[in-house]
Amino acid sequence: MADFNVNTREVGSVRVIELKGYLDAHTAPELENTFNSLINDANFKVVVNFNSLKYISSAGLGVFMAYVETMRENSGDIKFTNMNKDVYNIFDLLGFPMLYEFFEDEDLAIQKFNNSL
Amino acid sequence: MSLPSSDLLNSRKFEIATALSLLLFLFRIVFSTVNSPLLLILNELLVLSSLYFWILYITNFINEKEHTPISLVLNAGILNAILFFIIAITTVLFDKLPEDEISFGFFEALILLLLGFITLGIATYIISGFSELMKLKQKRNPAKYFNSMMLFFLFSAILFAYSQFDNSLKSVDNAVYVVAICLITFNALRVSWIAFLVKKQKLQLLIISIVLIILFGFNFSFTMESDFFNQAMINFSPGIYRSLNLIMLYGVIYFVIIFFTALFHLPTAEAFDKKSEEISSLFDLSKLLTSVFDFKDLAENITSITTKVYNSDSAWLLTREGDEYKLSSVSGIGYMQAEKITESVLEKYDYNLSEVLIIDKKKIKFRVRNDIVSFNFDSMAIAPLKVHNQIEGFLFVARKSDSRFESEDKKAIAAYADYAAIALENAKLIKESLEKERLEKEMEVAREIQYKLLPNKIPSFKDLEISAVFIPAFEVGGDYYDFFEVGEKNLAFVVADVSGKGISAAFIMAEIKGIFESLSKTISQPKVLLNYANDIINQSLEKKYFVTAIYGIIDMQNGKLTFGRAGHTPLHLFRDNSVKRLRPNGIGLGLDHGNKFASTLEEMEIQLNNNDILILYSDGITEAQNGINEEFGYDKLDTIVTENWRKNASEISNEIIKNVTTFSKDKAQHDDITLVVFKSNFNNKQIEVG
Repeated sequence: MADFNVNTREVGSVRVIELKGYLDAHTAPELENTFNSLINDANFKVVVNFNSLKYISSAGLGVFMAYVETMRENSGDIKFTNMNKDVYNIFDLLGFPMLYEFFEDEDLAIQKFNNSL
Repeated sequence: MSLPSSDLLNSRKFEIATALSLLLFLFRIVFSTVNSPLLLILNELLVLSSLYFWILYITNFINEKEHTPISLVLNAGILNAILFFIIAITTVLFDKLPEDEISFGFFEALILLLLGFITLGIATYIISGFSELMKLKQKRNPAKYFNSMMLFFLFSAILFAYSQFDNSLKSVDNAVYVVAICLITFNALRVSWIAFLVKKQKLQLLIISIVLIILFGFNFSFTMESDFFNQAMINFSPGIYRSLNLIMLYGVIYFVIIFFTALFHLPTAEAFDKKSEEISSLFDLSKLLTSVFDFKDLAENITSITTKVYNSDSAWLLTREGDEYKLSSVSGIGYMQAEKITESVLEKYDYNLSEVLIIDKKKIKFRVRNDIVSFNFDSMAIAPLKVHNQIEGFLFVARKSDSRFESEDKKAIAAYADYAAIALENAKLIKESLEKERLEKEMEVAREIQYKLLPNKIPSFKDLEISAVFIPAFEVGGDYYDFFEVGEKNLAFVVADVSGKGISAAFIMAEIKGIFESLSKTISQPKVLLNYANDIINQSLEKKYFVTAIYGIIDMQNGKLTFGRAGHTPLHLFRDNSVKRLRPNGIGLGLDHGNKFASTLEEMEIQLNNNDILILYSDGITEAQNGINEEFGYDKLDTIVTENWRKNASEISNEIIKNVTTFSKDKAQHDDITLVVFKSNFNNKQIEVG
């Protein structure tokens, strides 16, 4: 079974989710749990750091789609950062850049959240 | 027993023994008194050989029945009692035999004969029983010693018989008699089977052996006196008389030894019983291992056996689930209590024990709802359940009072825990394989649905070669393609990929097919059609699902292709020796719930020329991986098309599939593969010119 790991950090009012390994139909529920607990604790400003993610499948992409609306309704968002080229290609092909904000670096995304305060 | 002719068939032994006995009977009827050496020798030959064959037969008989030692002892006791009774009766009823042999009546002769045969029978059975007892729980084969004892019995019997006529060998007879007694003592020491009796049986044996010592003692002393019975026996056969005498002596010595052995074993009997119960519980557990496959049942069995075997008040079992240890079953303790105790004990060790841990005299306090409850125990043992050096769980055994767990218990509990770990692991593996089987069934259904949704016939045209290949992955990936002939002169096509896998993907596919099929009948513009499709999908699909698609329409009269792309892999167009990846803007269907989809979607128009090749595919092709996790990618695909453009559509398609499968031969196919190839024969250059 492919390895996958989710780690959540707190940077001010923003929560940073770090993804590691392979995000597919089998590991997606773990990320869903993370999002559920963020929403339960009323954390709606989320930055997802893709630095250590090796692979994402359509089921993995579906997780962000399932939660982004809740975040936005509560004046938050899900922003993507530190993606390698292959992973970005998948997002790009699907048209995600038209729907989500992508940043080179995690700090830029956090800054964007803080500026909009 | 490996005596001569002991490998004869049982029925044959019986026949020989019966024949010899009959012969003896006839012999005795004819010669009621044996008074010449020749007759005596014949008589002894018959008596001793029939005794021998009866022993052989009876031994076999006892062997088959697998008697317990106690029942063998009891049988010997009963026979002895009968013998005692006979001796007593005959002594009371008859006087000494008259010295004058001639006054021997037919009636008396018959009684003597009867007595002889009964004694013969009893002697046979007692000897056989002893020989069985001897063999019990012996590591080395004791037959050698028993047989040599029997041999000396025979010598002694013969010498005694001979000395009836000739006194010169009296001293030899005495010497042999002494050797026989030595051998008796030596053989009688083989009583290790007593150790394996439970305490209750040892007590029984103690009492029985006292009775038997008395019985054998009486019978032995009777054979020494010269009363009716003895004279009758000597008259019947001096050999059997001596044998009987030796057997009785053997019985006395044997049971004296048994008495003392049982007596000395009594103090340790309880410990021995406990040990053997432990062993048998391990055996029970190994039987459970092969008969109970349900994890929950097994867990409950393990705790209940534990409490029973280790004489403890409570036991509970923790098993690993993911990164946590969960309480799987409890016995003799509440669920909450067990949980709290576990926490307070194991947290100190960070849930990591290398061996069985024993904690003595402790009071653990914890809160249950609003009450503070304390749990007292005298001794508690915690065994890690290890499989492949990983701790898969913990077994707790607690004694409230009674006694503490000793270091010896530690070993036993460790062995027991090892067994339990294996059994639980087995149950887990079986559960997983059942789950896998269920998944396989589900996938089978999903694949069947998928196949039924795909077109079973690909349309053919003069100006357009079409080839379509679909290879499903084990986990149905949700690929879909279709062709619709729209009106008289248009061909519409769709290649789509549903997110997710398995049965849910197959159901979404069915929905998508319905949407495209019905929309294509009324809407001829790909962009408009995809917009409608997005709206419908947004309403019907769960947020986490989406669909990527390319929808296009080809005017079959002039070769004009119009298409839109909703998040799908690009359309590759080969023309003039190079490949272009056409990627008009477009978000995947179901991704956007606002108006971004419609506002960003582009439509593309291409005039197909002669020898233009269109490649449409799902990401199962470009994301196919080789042994070192490299992806097949776009470039390889384009190279294959460029190198093979002269071939027809299905040959090009075969070439691509061949390359993809060769590339990914070291890895299981992860996603569905769909490939649609169009090769255009439209000759539009003329139209352009005209």
